[in-house]
Amino acid sequence: MEIKTNEYRVWSDGSTVYYEGTMRLSSPEDYAPIQAIMNEMLAAKPARIDLDLTGLEFLNSSGINLFAKFTIEVRKQADVGLGVKGTTQIPWQSKSLPNLKKLFPALDLQIV
Amino acid sequence: MQSHYGIEFPEAADSTEGVKLALHSGLPPTWSNCGATADFLGNLYARAAARAGKNVKETRHGINYLANEILENAVKFRHPASGAIEIEARFQQGRFELQVRNYAEPAVAANFQTLLQELTSRDPGELMIERIEANAMDDTQGGSGLGILTMMNDYGAEIGWRFTQTQDGEPVQVDTYLTVQLVQ
Repeated sequence: MEIKTNEYRVWSDGSTVYYEGTMRLSSPEDYAPIQAIMNEMLAAKPARIDLDLTGLEFLNSSGINLFAKFTIEVRKQADVGLGVKGTTQIPWQSKSLPNLKKLFPALDLQIV
Repeated sequence: MQSHYGIEFPEAADSTEGVKLALHSGLPPTWSNCGATADFLGNLYARAAARAGKNVKETRHGINYLANEILENAVKFRHPASGAIEIEARFQQGRFELQVRNYAEPAVAANFQTLLQELTSRDPGELMIERIEANAMDDTQGGSGLGILTMMNDYGAEIGWRFTQTQDGEPVQVDTYLTVQLVQ
C-alpha cells in the first residue's frame, strides 16, 4: 500500500508504516486514506506496529490528531504493541511526539 | 463591541524586520496558501537567524508550524464574503511575533470564543490530552483546538485573540497575536 503526492509519501512494509515529506492536509476526511493504511494494519493484529516518521519534515495539527487517534486505537488492543520512531533532526518531532507517550505509556517512542 | 482572550496585544510596533502581507477578499486565500505563506516566513527568517548566528532549523521549522496553524484557522473561519486576511510578522533576537487579522461570521466567531474561553482557562498540556481523548471517542470531531494547544504547550507560544464587531450581524473582525522566544 502506498500513497504518493508531490508533497508526501506514505507506505507500509511488513508491520511498519513509513511517512515522508510534508503533510498539511485540511481535515480528518483528507487524512482518511492515510488513516485507512494504518487501520488496515491494525485489523491484521500484528504483535507490534511501527510508525517510522523519520522522513516526515512537516506535519500540521490535523496530522498530529491522526497519530493521536491511532495511538488510542492501538491502546484499546491489548495484544498489539506500538512503536514510534522519530528524529531529533526534525524539530516538531521532539516537541510533539512525547504527547503520544502520555496517551499510551507502553508506546515505544524512539527519537534518535 | 470588543472581547479579548489570552495575552495582551503589543502597542503598534514600527519594525524594519517586519513583513506585511494582505490577501484581499477578491482573491481569497486557500488552504494551500497557508502552507506556502508559512514556508515563505520560515525561509525568510531562517536567513535572518543564520545572519544572527542562531539555530536556523529551529527557527525555520518553528515559524513554519506556528504560522501555518494560525493561518489555517484564519482561512477555516474566514467570512465567505469578507475573506481578506492581513498578516504581520517580525523576528527579532530569536523572538517570533505574528499578528493576523481576518473576518468571521458572527455565529462562527461566537463558537470560536466559547472554545477560546475553555482553552485559555486551564493548563494547555492537561487540556490537550483531555481533548484528544474526547476527540477519539467522537469521530465527528476534527480535533478542534488541538492546534492552539500544541502551539501553547509544545512550542511555549503565548497567544491573544481580539474580537471586534461594529454592528449586529456585521462580520466580526478577529485579530490573533502570537509571540514566542523560538531560539536564544
